[in-house]
Amino acid sequence: MSFRKIDIDALEEDALGQDELDFQEIGELRPQHEVESQVNNRAQEVRSLLQRGNAAGALTTSLQDPPYGRNFGVAKARNTQTVMEVLNSIKVAEVPQLVKTLGPQEQDVLMKYLYAGMAAPEQNNSGVLLAWHEKLTEVAGQGCIVRVITDRRTV
Amino acid sequence: MSNTLRPYLGAVRQTLTAAMCLENFSSQVAERHNKPEVETSTSKEVLLNPVIISRNDKEKVLIETSVNSLRISIAIKQADESERILAHKFTRFLTQRAESFVILRRKPIEGYDISFLITNAHTEQMYKHKLVDFIIQFMEEVDKEISEMKLSLNARLRAVSEAYLAGFN
Amino acid sequence: MSNQPIVNEFGLGPISCHAFNQDRSELAVCFNSNVVSIFRQSGGSWTLSSTLAEHDKPVTSIDWAPKSNRIVTCSQDRNAYVWTLDGQKQWKPTLVLLRINRAATFVRWSPEEDKFAVASGSRCISVCYFEEDNDWWVGKHIKKPIRSTVLSLDWHPNNVLLAAGCADMKARVFSAFIKGIDKKPAPTPWGEKLPFNTVCGEFSSGSGGWIHGVAFSPDGNSLAFTGHDSTITVVDQASGSVQTIRAPYLPYVSVLWLNESQIVAAGHDCAPHLFEKKGNEWSFSASLDSAVKKADVGTSARDTFRRMASRAQATATNDTEVHTHHQNTINSIRAFSGSRDHVEQFSTSGIDGKLVIWGTGLSRGMGNLHL
Repeated sequence: MSFRKIDIDALEEDALGQDELDFQEIGELRPQHEVESQVNNRAQEVRSLLQRGNAAGALTTSLQDPPYGRNFGVAKARNTQTVMEVLNSIKVAEVPQLVKTLGPQEQDVLMKYLYAGMAAPEQNNSGVLLAWHEKLTEVAGQGCIVRVITDRRTV
Repeated sequence: MSNTLRPYLGAVRQTLTAAMCLENFSSQVAERHNKPEVETSTSKEVLLNPVIISRNDKEKVLIETSVNSLRISIAIKQADESERILAHKFTRFLTQRAESFVILRRKPIEGYDISFLITNAHTEQMYKHKLVDFIIQFMEEVDKEISEMKLSLNARLRAVSEAYLAGFN
Repeated sequence: MSNQPIVNEFGLGPISCHAFNQDRSELAVCFNSNVVSIFRQSGGSWTLSSTLAEHDKPVTSIDWAPKSNRIVTCSQDRNAYVWTLDGQKQWKPTLVLLRINRAATFVRWSPEEDKFAVASGSRCISVCYFEEDNDWWVGKHIKKPIRSTVLSLDWHPNNVLLAAGCADMKARVFSAFIKGIDKKPAPTPWGEKLPFNTVCGEFSSGSGGWIHGVAFSPDGNSLAFTGHDSTITVVDQASGSVQTIRAPYLPYVSVLWLNESQIVAAGHDCAPHLFEKKGNEWSFSASLDSAVKKADVGTSARDTFRRMASRAQATATNDTEVHTHHQNTINSIRAFSGSRDHVEQFSTSGIDGKLVIWGTGLSRGMGNLHL
């Protein structure tokens, strides 16, 4: 009678599993230490840019090359923190203009980080994120939000 | 604090419109069946990333969507014990009548107070923009209702206790 | 040059699919049910002339072969039928052996109308041809490397190549060459010797998203596909370039080439959008639905103050209106008039139950779309 306990759907070969889907989108994953060191370097670079007052540069640098992949939890958290630092330090009045200077790819990545930030409201200031969300949606449209939902390369 | 309400509702409205792009999709797992994929979650490729929109750590909205259905779960602001009880009673009242509500889900998702399940059948029968309007209105109304209920509860409490204690004077 | 769209409102429920006959005097449409209704044009309005009832689950797709006047329908009950007009002007179904064990999602006749392809949820495409001896249509399966439900199909003008958009985020071009039915096709940028089930190309938009609509360009050398990630990707196989246009709108569900440099796409935004190629770059051009203005929006001082007062209340902005002709998602665009490489009118059907015929305002000799 144990055949009743077999999950037949899990055994179906043709069905796409979560790992395959990730591979399809992201490809070969880089080694963990490499990703983590890249993220740490970027954090330092961004901090120095912020100290020098270069908010636009800090924003674009923090949005480059996000660590996609399911086992990069630590790197992702660190990178999200970096982006949050940048977003918090930019004045509300400068936001619309800065958002317009971002390229379409960067706008998509920024939207991903906004949602990633809102997912942890205890650590991040949701008010700031909501203000950024409003301005970004005005410029990038609902298509940007759709891409955050459909793109399996999550931050 | 209330100056985050408008961007919060705006963000929820935009995300909900973006997520409510549903279409009829027959089950790949069972022939001649048509089930909300966000509930069955057996086919991984038809599910999309869930997103959370939060106003603070107490109020947030979780939107999970798939090809033919979307689930939106709302965490209502509950500042103290009496608000917690009122919210619980309110949502229970609604979920017990979920069938007539059509888009309401009987059990909320873990960590949230109330959940809606919207399928492609609902977007076919009703306008999508009206459904989004309804959810936003619901979110506003719930907060208002609970504060009203709390006020009337406190007023009654005060009246009752005054009347009772007046007897001892 | 009529740019005013012709709106046909049937009021019988959401339209899941539609198809016109060759001279556009008859329309086959399904209102989200198990039956297909055939309407005949009579003096500007459509009257019901017959009903095709054989399926026992909702019909997902209809196609009407213009020259041979045959209708093929497929449904979620895993069946497809080919309907022909018999001597008494009645539509009679012919059995099709699809051999699929999940719902059929999409069907299209090939350009020569000797085969048709059915996309299905059983992760395969069934290419069907007629077998004389048994008087039925038999299907051959294209299976590898499809990993999920196939959502849409389009035939190449050479009758052999077939493009398929799938829920595994990939658009593919297959060869559907059937020995005995097809003659060897001339070489195209997609490949030469092409036995059945050869994959001539596999593309994705880069950011995931199920491929809802695919379309070959009029000459067949380019492929446009649209995904759920609100992008349109145009693959030019002759030059090898793949261009992805990220749209700031809701996802498109269906695409149609108007000519070699213009594509119309429509979907969840309830309006057809035009994309144009300028030089070598594709980009979004305009929405073809100039918003229908509400009649009572007055410009008097009283109205202005009323609007200002209502804006002050938070709840006044809750009543959204959709100012397009379609009030809900458009799920199908088909060419209505003109030729394959110069479409002059196209029809769209949507979940709001309306069928709208749009004019592109193009006439031979003029290059640009006037809005």
